[in-house]
Amino acid sequence: MARTTFPVEVLTPEGQVFSEEIEMLSTRTAVGSIGVLAHHEPVLAMLEPSELRLYRSESDVVRFAQAEGYLQFSENRALVLVEEAIAPQALDRGAYQTRLAEARASAERAAEDSEEKARALRDIKRYEAFLAVEP
Amino acid sequence: MASQRDVKNRISSVKNIQKITRAMEMVAAARLRRAEQRIARLRPYADAIRRMTFQAAAAAGAEASAFPLLREHEEVKHVGLLLVTGDRGLAGAFNSQIIRAGVRAGAELSEQGMAPSWYATGRRGVSSLTFRGRELSGSYTGFSDRPGYADARTIADDLMSGYVDGKLDRVEVIYNQYVSPLTQHVTREVLLPLSEPVLSGEDSAEQDSGQRALVEYEPDPQEILKRLVPDYVEISIYRALIESTAGFFGAQMTAMRNASENAGTLIEQYTLQMNRARQAEITQEIMEVVAGAEGLG
Repeated sequence: MARTTFPVEVLTPEGQVFSEEIEMLSTRTAVGSIGVLAHHEPVLAMLEPSELRLYRSESDVVRFAQAEGYLQFSENRALVLVEEAIAPQALDRGAYQTRLAEARASAERAAEDSEEKARALRDIKRYEAFLAVEP
Repeated sequence: MASQRDVKNRISSVKNIQKITRAMEMVAAARLRRAEQRIARLRPYADAIRRMTFQAAAAAGAEASAFPLLREHEEVKHVGLLLVTGDRGLAGAFNSQIIRAGVRAGAELSEQGMAPSWYATGRRGVSSLTFRGRELSGSYTGFSDRPGYADARTIADDLMSGYVDGKLDRVEVIYNQYVSPLTQHVTREVLLPLSEPVLSGEDSAEQDSGQRALVEYEPDPQEILKRLVPDYVEISIYRALIESTAGFFGAQMTAMRNASENAGTLIEQYTLQMNRARQAEITQEIMEVVAGAEGLG
């Protein structure tokens, strides 16, 4: 049975990557996984890097490798703001492997509690999440 | 009166200049198109981040001031002014209008007993401020043609740590907002602290009417703000850089088009002048021949 749909918009600094009516949205917030259906209660959530799934229907799912960002749901509209959203087939895995290795190395080098360390750790999380997205 | 050859030389040099300005106009036009696309893509994201920041700050209310970036300083003494200019000139009033606005803002602040701290991006801004004897707390150059997010992050980090350490009590940015190739708006924005109507909730009338309590925050607003506010500052600076880049190419294109047209008018005038000089010379020669013939007669 088809569920009620609601509009969702995915924005990145590079522009809009998705804007359609969908049945369900799923991603991960700082406190855990979240699934949003139509008429969800208003929410503002901080997103962690993960896989963003947009269900046009049960079988038709649009997926993105998603960086840190925010999810806002109000008045039955979802707005996803993320720093990056890349389609799984467009993901250059080799490049992210290299970047992950670099980030790990710089996390090793950086001093404890430094801005550089925090950034490297954030990058590691992001690249790991990207690589975990199935092609 | 200038001789034929003088005028001819002048025409050819003006023609050369015209070739250069035409080429610069075309290059600026091509780059403008790209910069225009970038700013058009960024605007919805930046606006949404802004709205979200204000919403979360309003929800956090008084508790937000526990977070150093949101705490308003009791006495505003030092104001960080970030002037966004280009690395290059030849773009009409583009750079000078920012510097003028910045210097005026600095004077106003001094009158009110506050001390401006100068920050500038773009070689033009940096060199003009230095020339005017302003000491720069931060200068960022070499990316005005194509600013990256990392550039904005560097600037934002400096300004935010200045604010957190108490070296700055307010942070403002002055930049050219891109409207059209012909117009750039000099825009002055307060980045930190988040402007008052926002924190007191005036901006969010519909939230006050009961909605606010219903919004679920994951995690709670204070936690979200810890990441959202730095993101907001970064994206605002990034936006200012990109707006300025698009504005620069628009201004340059317009300035160069005017220069080319001006060169065209000059060439016409000089050509007239040259023809007149040639005619005068011929008339002179004929008169001499006639006079000589009469003398012989």
